[in-house]
Amino acid sequence: MDALVKSDFIGKEEHAGVEKRSWLFTRPTAKTGIVSWLTTVDHKRVGLLYGISSLFFFLVGGFEAILIRLQLAVPNNTLLTAQQYNEMFTMHGTTMIFLAVMPLSAAFFNYIMPLQIGARDVAFPRLNGFAFWIFLVGAIILNLGWFVKSGAPDVGWFGYAPLTSTAYSSQFAGDMSTDLWVMGLQVLGVSSIIGSLNFIVTIINLRAPGMTMMRLPVFTWMTLFTAFLIILSFPAITIALVALMMDRSFGTSFFEVSGGGLPILWQHLFWVFGHPEVYILILPAMGIISEILPTFSRKPLFGYPIVVFSGAAIGFLGFGVWSHHMFTTGMGTVATAAFAVATMAIAVPTGVKIFNWIGTLWGGHLMMRTPMMFSLGFVWLFMFGGFSGIMHSAAPADAQQQDSYFVVAHFHYVLIGGSIFALLAGIHYWFPLIFGRTVSEFWGKLSFWVIFVGFNVTFFPMHFLGLNGMPRRTFTYDGNMGWNNANMWATVGALILAVGISIYFAVMVYTYFKGQKSSRDPWDGRTLEWSIPNPPPEYNFAVTPTVHARDAFWYEKNNKEEIAREKAAKAKIDEAQGGVHMPSQSWFPIITASGMLIGGLFFTNHIMLGAIAGGVVVFFGAWMWALEGPGGYHVHPNESDDDSSQGHGPKH
Amino acid sequence: MSSSASFRHSIRRGLSALFAASIPLYTGGWIGGHQSTFDAKGPVAASQLDLFYVTLWVTGIIFVLVAAVLAYATLKFKARNEADEHAEPPPQGHGNPLVELGLIGASVVALVFIAVPTLEAIWYTYDVPDDRRDQTYEVTAVGYQWWFKFEYPNEQIDGAGALVTANELVIPAGRPIRVNLRTIDVIHSFWVPKLAGKVDMIPNRGNHLWLQADEPGYFWGQCAEFCGQSHAVMRFRVIALNEADFAAWTANQKKDARAVETTASADAAPRAQFAGFRVNEAGWSPEFDANPLDNWVQKQFPEKSENPALIAEGRRLFVEKACAGCHNIRGHEGVGITGPDLTHMGSRTTIAAGLLENTTRNLYRWISEPHHVKPGNKMWVGGYTDRETGNRILELTSEDVSALVAYLESLK
Repeated sequence: MDALVKSDFIGKEEHAGVEKRSWLFTRPTAKTGIVSWLTTVDHKRVGLLYGISSLFFFLVGGFEAILIRLQLAVPNNTLLTAQQYNEMFTMHGTTMIFLAVMPLSAAFFNYIMPLQIGARDVAFPRLNGFAFWIFLVGAIILNLGWFVKSGAPDVGWFGYAPLTSTAYSSQFAGDMSTDLWVMGLQVLGVSSIIGSLNFIVTIINLRAPGMTMMRLPVFTWMTLFTAFLIILSFPAITIALVALMMDRSFGTSFFEVSGGGLPILWQHLFWVFGHPEVYILILPAMGIISEILPTFSRKPLFGYPIVVFSGAAIGFLGFGVWSHHMFTTGMGTVATAAFAVATMAIAVPTGVKIFNWIGTLWGGHLMMRTPMMFSLGFVWLFMFGGFSGIMHSAAPADAQQQDSYFVVAHFHYVLIGGSIFALLAGIHYWFPLIFGRTVSEFWGKLSFWVIFVGFNVTFFPMHFLGLNGMPRRTFTYDGNMGWNNANMWATVGALILAVGISIYFAVMVYTYFKGQKSSRDPWDGRTLEWSIPNPPPEYNFAVTPTVHARDAFWYEKNNKEEIAREKAAKAKIDEAQGGVHMPSQSWFPIITASGMLIGGLFFTNHIMLGAIAGGVVVFFGAWMWALEGPGGYHVHPNESDDDSSQGHGPKH
Repeated sequence: MSSSASFRHSIRRGLSALFAASIPLYTGGWIGGHQSTFDAKGPVAASQLDLFYVTLWVTGIIFVLVAAVLAYATLKFKARNEADEHAEPPPQGHGNPLVELGLIGASVVALVFIAVPTLEAIWYTYDVPDDRRDQTYEVTAVGYQWWFKFEYPNEQIDGAGALVTANELVIPAGRPIRVNLRTIDVIHSFWVPKLAGKVDMIPNRGNHLWLQADEPGYFWGQCAEFCGQSHAVMRFRVIALNEADFAAWTANQKKDARAVETTASADAAPRAQFAGFRVNEAGWSPEFDANPLDNWVQKQFPEKSENPALIAEGRRLFVEKACAGCHNIRGHEGVGITGPDLTHMGSRTTIAAGLLENTTRNLYRWISEPHHVKPGNKMWVGGYTDRETGNRILELTSEDVSALVAYLESLK
């Protein structure tokens, strides 16, 4: 690192107090090694931690999926027992949603969003680290069941009451698999809400001068919408989970049938969260696509304001359609009709996005690089998933499709064809920025085609399975139902998909160690993250950028003299203010999070004294965190050499 | 029905016929099977299928249009070589509000084509139409982990309440059937794809659905809401009979369980013995599937080779081994209500909740190793050791099993 690192506190008072601070409050300063990662507050490092752990869980969830498909390859298979199968699909769903796609989106929010708005970090750097560590705590609690006698949770990812009550989900005394599920999801909810508040404050407050809201890159807009969706929807599931926890641990009767509880209440609470959750998973993907398509078409996004407002409309309407997950619960005619029509209405802003992406391609110079391939694959597959979604909105037709493999096909088209394709596109797109190396186009495109073919061979036949009456979540089926061919194809497809994913990640690992060094701004990018060296320095921007237009970096490249003059002036001002202000590292985020792990595990074992001890650790951590103060130090970057290589467009 | 409604209806019929005709072209026989929703056998399933075709056509046409533009744009504007990529960037246009508004308007119009028939079908499928309410036959289905109980409130038995059967719902064809949906434990869902889409059975909630089988037939159904360990093997059948057959069936079902005279037959049939069941042994046979309704009719008559002595032994064991504590056999010793009613079990085509054909071998397998057939079920045959005497009790030997099988098969 070419910057001069000078550990220091800002302000006179703090200067005076440095010597008096006890060892407890000594801020860690390691820049490399394990301690630097455990105490990090750098949004880029936190983003990488999110990325690595979510990709790990993506592979775990994928492995569970392969076992599911192998079990269903032939009728009456015995690879898995009924119990193991139920654990497998419960954990596959929970893992993919909460531990893979959501945190992978969070990884991009963390890494890319501050760079796109010209910020030095997120608004609350320590809170950011804390959000990651409790995400990890939640992930550990959820998966712990695999390693103990209880087994993993087996109630399905939406855990319908009263199957989750102690009467039906505790096969033996001390079976805590459902308790682990309840606790794990609550902890993950805390993590998501903390992270989201941080992103909202960051986007509202830390934009570079000139970065007005209507100049925000679309990915940043989608980050903002997603964050709002999370803070508005997670309270609903948290209420439901707390009520369920009370039922299970303290004998209350929120959902307990024998006590007059209402199992249907769980469904409403869950889906008031669960439907916005679908958009929590897809809006970041739409944001990534809205970055990649303009870059590789070499023209701005078509209809930027409409794309932004349609994102807002989707988020807003997303709170008014939850009962379309419940068309078969006997809601009556009027409620069913209302939710059916509202669901159809959501198709309009979603369709608008597709039209605008096509409009972006129209008249462009399309560069068919791997990120572009994944993005076009996204548009195709998301259309399919969208259309089967419209079919579901026709409630009477949905009575045949609900809880069948047709639904399984639909949401995998949306979540793999949609979210995962976009996230894989995003990894490819930002890899040169994050790691400074370029991924091989040949291997990238090969992995794309294998994944694309494998995906369709797996999930297209499931439409037929569902319409031919195969219910989801069944560990076995008979050979006389007409389901054999489609199931075999789906399994073959899943194996192809696994090969594709393996190629993809093998190439990524290879590129990280041995890949060709990337030039600066390799894709001729349009947004600010491409204006900095790769990999990005700790302080992001040597000089705070001034934004003059949407597609800020494209403007910079086309107005070099103006920008150079402006930067020189700005650099002087920055230096006069004492250099670039950086946040200090801290031990307390991880210490506080560890209290949640201790408390959570004792609570699921119904050892309340231990749970209280965990609470004490959380309290201690948060207390010390407050007393330690915000900290901070200044760096004085000198990047004059790098500027010369800026803005030459694609170079390979 | 108004003329516009019937016009829409005939259009929909036409669209579905067109789609059905084109199916073999691209699916290679992937459509069909015992639970195929493409093969609607009653008005409720037909209206749901028609609506599906409407959604399929509307989205299909939109897909073709959008996909064509997307494919054209991709191919037309693709950079063909290095020079293309390094050329001056294209005009930096930001969009066209008129195009946007036009497309939004077109999307809304397309959705109206789906919304109108959807609303029509929501009201039609919700309950029996008013003009047919007087023909309605009512039954109550109750979900248990992992089987279905069927009650016939119209068929009262003196001193025993309503007629109760399990796992095979027999209904009159050509009449609307209103099914009350209840559950005793967790949420289940009642689904006979060829007759009607599913409706859930939810605790503390009185749901219902209606369906009708236009012709006599034999239909496959299955629980459609995850309900615990053996959800996948919680299945059932619906048998639709013409009015006369249905009346004969109910008359027989209302009788007490059949008692076999110990002197009825001198030549004793051999004691059935089976062993070495595979855990994943299939419970169905192509012979049965070829003509299920005829096979159902066959099941209504007593077996040709009965062994009265063995049946008597089975009847004794049914009490001795505590089967009677959970299962009811009306007129015999069974009193339990937590397990399926077995009064006329021998006349059913399936056992273990629609999972296995009701053959001697399958019955033997089901009784001797229920935990393999249906993991987690409550039928306990492992026996246990009595604390005071140290004796093994409630354990079934292979001889016991064959006697029980003979007894249950005699219950026509």
